[in-house]
Amino acid sequence: MEISRKNFLKGAAGATGLLLLQPPAMAMAKDSQTSAGMAMLIDVTKCVNCWWCYAACKEYNELPETTKPDLTQPPALSSNVWTTLHPVMNSGKWTSRKKACNHCTDAACVEVCPTGALSYNEMGFVQYDKEKCSGCGYCVEFCPFGVPQMETNTITGVAIMDKCTFCPDRVTNGEPPACAAACTTGAITYGQRADLIAEAKERVATLQQKNTDASLYGVNELGGLHVMYVLDNSPAVYGLPADPEVPPTSIIRDVLRWVGSGLAIAAVAGFGLNYLVARLRTRRGEE
Amino acid sequence: MAEARVVERFRKRTIWFHWIHTAAFLVLLVTGAILFLPGLGGPAAGGLTRFIHRIAVVFFVGMPIVYFIINPRMSLHFIKETLTWGRNDVQWFSQAPDYYFGGDEEKMPPQGHINTGQKMWQFIVLGTGALFLISGFFMWFLKDALAAGVFQWFVIVHDVAFVVALLMLLVHVYLGVIHPRMTESLRSMWDGKISKTYARNHYGKWYDEVAKGKN
Repeated sequence: MEISRKNFLKGAAGATGLLLLQPPAMAMAKDSQTSAGMAMLIDVTKCVNCWWCYAACKEYNELPETTKPDLTQPPALSSNVWTTLHPVMNSGKWTSRKKACNHCTDAACVEVCPTGALSYNEMGFVQYDKEKCSGCGYCVEFCPFGVPQMETNTITGVAIMDKCTFCPDRVTNGEPPACAAACTTGAITYGQRADLIAEAKERVATLQQKNTDASLYGVNELGGLHVMYVLDNSPAVYGLPADPEVPPTSIIRDVLRWVGSGLAIAAVAGFGLNYLVARLRTRRGEE
Repeated sequence: MAEARVVERFRKRTIWFHWIHTAAFLVLLVTGAILFLPGLGGPAAGGLTRFIHRIAVVFFVGMPIVYFIINPRMSLHFIKETLTWGRNDVQWFSQAPDYYFGGDEEKMPPQGHINTGQKMWQFIVLGTGALFLISGFFMWFLKDALAAGVFQWFVIVHDVAFVVALLMLLVHVYLGVIHPRMTESLRSMWDGKISKTYARNHYGKWYDEVAKGKN
């Protein structure tokens, strides 16, 4: 099946209208409750590999059109691919995990972003302001899921990060993200995170009656993801790290900042003291 | 009247090199610091400062190469001098605290063309320069080829070099420009000359050689 050009254009026209309505900038403290906010639940057992989430994402976000991908060669996340599938061959049958930004509560990308381009939205997702992006690429390198992407001009270093936005224009208007709206099988559900956790636990409990490998991912990882997964196998099989963390290197950077700033202040204070003493003593020597 | 400054300490080309390299480093410092220090990232938006950082690097790396080609003997001497450490340096370190806090100048053993502290600065410049270049090279050109974990460590190497270089630059500027005892230091990096008294007091060993016409 080819994603029709007509469909793309139709969606694009609507999207343009919506994009003009910028969501209010919501400066925001982290949720004290990890279960707060809105979220998506991805259930691999309900996914039929139709790629409509992929198509809807491209259409709504006006990303370059493409043909329907093949499960044996799923497109990697890129500046133009904000969501894709991570297919797994399971006893002769494909099952797929929809792969995109997990919108962490404790997000490494937000921690390392030097310009504040990446930030937390009070609805629970990780938003970014392209105008503020410097193209440094720290988010790309520090994200434990390898989600943010950019194409960098090697000579000038110019680059802008892209990733799943959680469709802020839609969710702030009470609509589900484009991918969730496009999903016809219930593999992607959008709603209150607390409700989805309860729902997910039930589904996993049911699955586990027949399949002890079934697992739930994202409830506690990184303070709680705002994209959670019902899996019929271990997270690792679906390319999800068992114990994701904000890389310790980002903490080392924080320590360096504090130590460096402290030493610089101490040095300047030391110079002042040294100047006074040295001046006094050399003058006395001259007299 | 101030004493005539007649002893040549730096050649013109060295002075040019020093200041162009300084300018390049300051540009690198500022365009880098805004990405390192929290809350200063605003001006980096759009990536212009990243481009400026890259242009400055061309000068920062290019200048030493040009200087080396023009002046290979002096350059090798500079490197050798920076890497040669001995008993004199221990003596300098034992006297330095008193000396820099205005103690008796006579107690400081006579120094060569540069003293141990300046040698330490040269060492830091070469050392952090190497760290900056190696980590920067990977971050610039081999970003996609590196595993994310490796890239993070190159960022940290860059950060460490930044902290060390910045702290030592503060010391360098303080001693060269402000310290009450270094009265002719800054001017000598402008016109290359110092007075005989200053040469004798600060670089006694070197001045004796100059006076004998050995250098």
